[in-house]
Amino acid sequence: MKKWPLTIAVLGVGGLALAFALGQALPNLRTSTSTIEVNINDPELIKKGQYVARTADCVACHTTLNGEDFAGGLPMLTPLGAIYSTNITPDKETGIGNYTFDDFNNATKHGVRKDNSALYPAMPYPSYQIMPEEDMAAMYAYFMSGVKAVKQTNKPSEMPPVLNWRWPLAYWQAIFAPEREFIAETDDAVLARGQYLIEGPGHCGSCHTERGIGFQELALSNADSEEFLSGAVIDGWRAKSLRGEHDGLAIWSTAELVDFFKTGRTDITAAFGAMAEVVEHSTQYMTEDDLYAMSAYLKTLSPKPGEPVTIAAKEDVTTQKLMDGVYDSRGSILYAEYCQICHRADGKGVPRIFPALEGNSAVYSRDADSVLQITLSGGRMPDTPHDRMAFTMPEFINLSDADVAEVVNYIRNSWTNQGSKVDVDDVVKMRHFLSKKPKTGTDVAPDLSITAAAKGANRE
Amino acid sequence: MNKSLLNLPDVASVNPFSLSMTVLATVCVFAISGCDAPKPIERNAPQFDLVTTDDANEDIGTYVLPQDTSILKEPNAEQIFYGKRLLNETKRLMPDHVGAAMNCNSCHISQGKIPLGDPYINSYNFYPRVMPRAEKMVDLEMRINGCFQRSMNGKAVDRDSAEMLAMVAYMKWLAQNTPKSQKVAINNAGEVDTSLVPDTVRGEKIYHVQCAACHGDNGEGMKDSRGDIVFPPLWGDESFNIGAGMARTYKAAAFVKYNMPMGIQTKGLWGHGNVLSDQDAVDVAEFFTHKPRPDFAGKVNDWPTGKKPKDARY
Repeated sequence: MKKWPLTIAVLGVGGLALAFALGQALPNLRTSTSTIEVNINDPELIKKGQYVARTADCVACHTTLNGEDFAGGLPMLTPLGAIYSTNITPDKETGIGNYTFDDFNNATKHGVRKDNSALYPAMPYPSYQIMPEEDMAAMYAYFMSGVKAVKQTNKPSEMPPVLNWRWPLAYWQAIFAPEREFIAETDDAVLARGQYLIEGPGHCGSCHTERGIGFQELALSNADSEEFLSGAVIDGWRAKSLRGEHDGLAIWSTAELVDFFKTGRTDITAAFGAMAEVVEHSTQYMTEDDLYAMSAYLKTLSPKPGEPVTIAAKEDVTTQKLMDGVYDSRGSILYAEYCQICHRADGKGVPRIFPALEGNSAVYSRDADSVLQITLSGGRMPDTPHDRMAFTMPEFINLSDADVAEVVNYIRNSWTNQGSKVDVDDVVKMRHFLSKKPKTGTDVAPDLSITAAAKGANRE
Repeated sequence: MNKSLLNLPDVASVNPFSLSMTVLATVCVFAISGCDAPKPIERNAPQFDLVTTDDANEDIGTYVLPQDTSILKEPNAEQIFYGKRLLNETKRLMPDHVGAAMNCNSCHISQGKIPLGDPYINSYNFYPRVMPRAEKMVDLEMRINGCFQRSMNGKAVDRDSAEMLAMVAYMKWLAQNTPKSQKVAINNAGEVDTSLVPDTVRGEKIYHVQCAACHGDNGEGMKDSRGDIVFPPLWGDESFNIGAGMARTYKAAAFVKYNMPMGIQTKGLWGHGNVLSDQDAVDVAEFFTHKPRPDFAGKVNDWPTGKKPKDARY
């Protein structure tokens, strides 16, 4: 009897040691060695690499607000503490200047860094994994020769001891990010290109696909399951479903999607929050062909199972009441005071200036995170050369939590909108979350000064 | 006991990844349900000092900017709400009195609740008083009618009409029972350097970059699908007339500097202002104020003894 604890301890330590050893070895199975020679001084290759890096939106996570491009340091908040994105400039001391092409390829596609340890899955290597070697070579040339080297030391993660061990991540990779190749769903070259961009470099699933218990995306492609791009919540934003149901993209046309990717807005809505960052840093630079391909592919995705493609019609009685001054709820009084001047009595906003609230799924979707966050924190549209101004929503942080709930419920259920109720606790939680969330570029007002405009500061 | 112990080695052999996930989940639950569960917060209302009208330094209390929901507590709530609606949608609700495509609150930012944005906060107590332009005693109703005839290029409203009474009732409510001898220590307009010489060529460039997206390439403003005003016209037949304060370069510049553009900041109720330098504001103000606009017949009565400001238009 008394020997049991000892046996357990021995087995435990032994098991752990074995697991550790195996964890150390696992990354070796993922890495690959390439035979291609990359001429990092080839201007054409560098240019191509810049475009590929745009489609992969590397800058979004590897740059902080007001920080140097690609120098890292952006915190990713996890319940256990922040981890920070790394310096991927060609600085030899603090960046990736000493990376060979194989090192670069293994980190980006396989999640294994130069020292053979596993990268956190905050880096979307499960998506990047399908990118062809030629594109990786072009990106490598760009990062080695087209990006300014910045000396900025990486910040250590704030994960507590034990949880900050990297070797268990090797198991994560083995289970959740197995090697995979791109498999086109169709023979149509345009749709296949769109599928590739969405599934691979665009890593749309990082935000728009639900994650499981191990933080893994439940599907990495449409072939995996209909969980792919069916919507999720990340960083306090509802990343909407991109599938064919009503709350997804059922009411979007391909042309509207192209317009949205290119300019960050349509006549009825605007990108905000994390998607504003995506448009500002990535999609606005993509070619018309690529934007069309992505949009056309998204429109082929079937509706999320169990979700309606159309919803019951509802008569708009809100507009007339607001115009007649019939304020029959606290929410209506708040709307008239704080929202109506921009979003208008009919909730339709002003095309390309103030987004519509009526018929906008970001407002009425079952999960209210997005509408709560933008109400409390404000934000701005992406800045692109297509429109003269990138407008903001001001933060309504001075309203009481109860009134935020009132006005959010009002807009979720006015006009033809039909949303579930939020309660005060939802507002309290969002406000608490926002108190810790770092600001990003589209959280703050644009630099509109004449000097900035002259320098093209908003146009990169 | 034996049985439960026998189960233990299984636990120890669980793969370390799920073990760490278990630890992770436990820590998560702990962190989320943790000690600092926040409570709902109340409105953080803007507050300003109250001062006496003769001594601006004497602090005698605090003015708390009211939210419209508190109108419900007033016995004449319906009248106050009506007044607020008239100020917001003057053109639609009083078409016979408004000639321009303008509302009172086209200039009085956020229902007259914003310092430097032509607020109504002190209006109820400020009048009657001798005003420099008229050089005579002007009361609140006369002042409101000045706006109708100049800024809104329309006709005066009957002093005893339900509309005038309602607009005054809104301003009285906004004063929050501040005694007549006191005022809220805010400024109605910001300052710009009036010694700056305007450059209309530069002003036109600024206009097209920072104003025209809303006010139109030809200053025509913007209307919604019902024909109601979204952004007011800055010149032309539907704009304010030459008798409006907004037609004066430095008055317009002070307004523009602190209040325009809107929807461009993340702070402030309209996310407005503080984009242009004094010179930018003076340049752009000179540009749009001096574009063609309706004349004002009553101009002959202004500044009767000739003490005109330098940016007067006549």
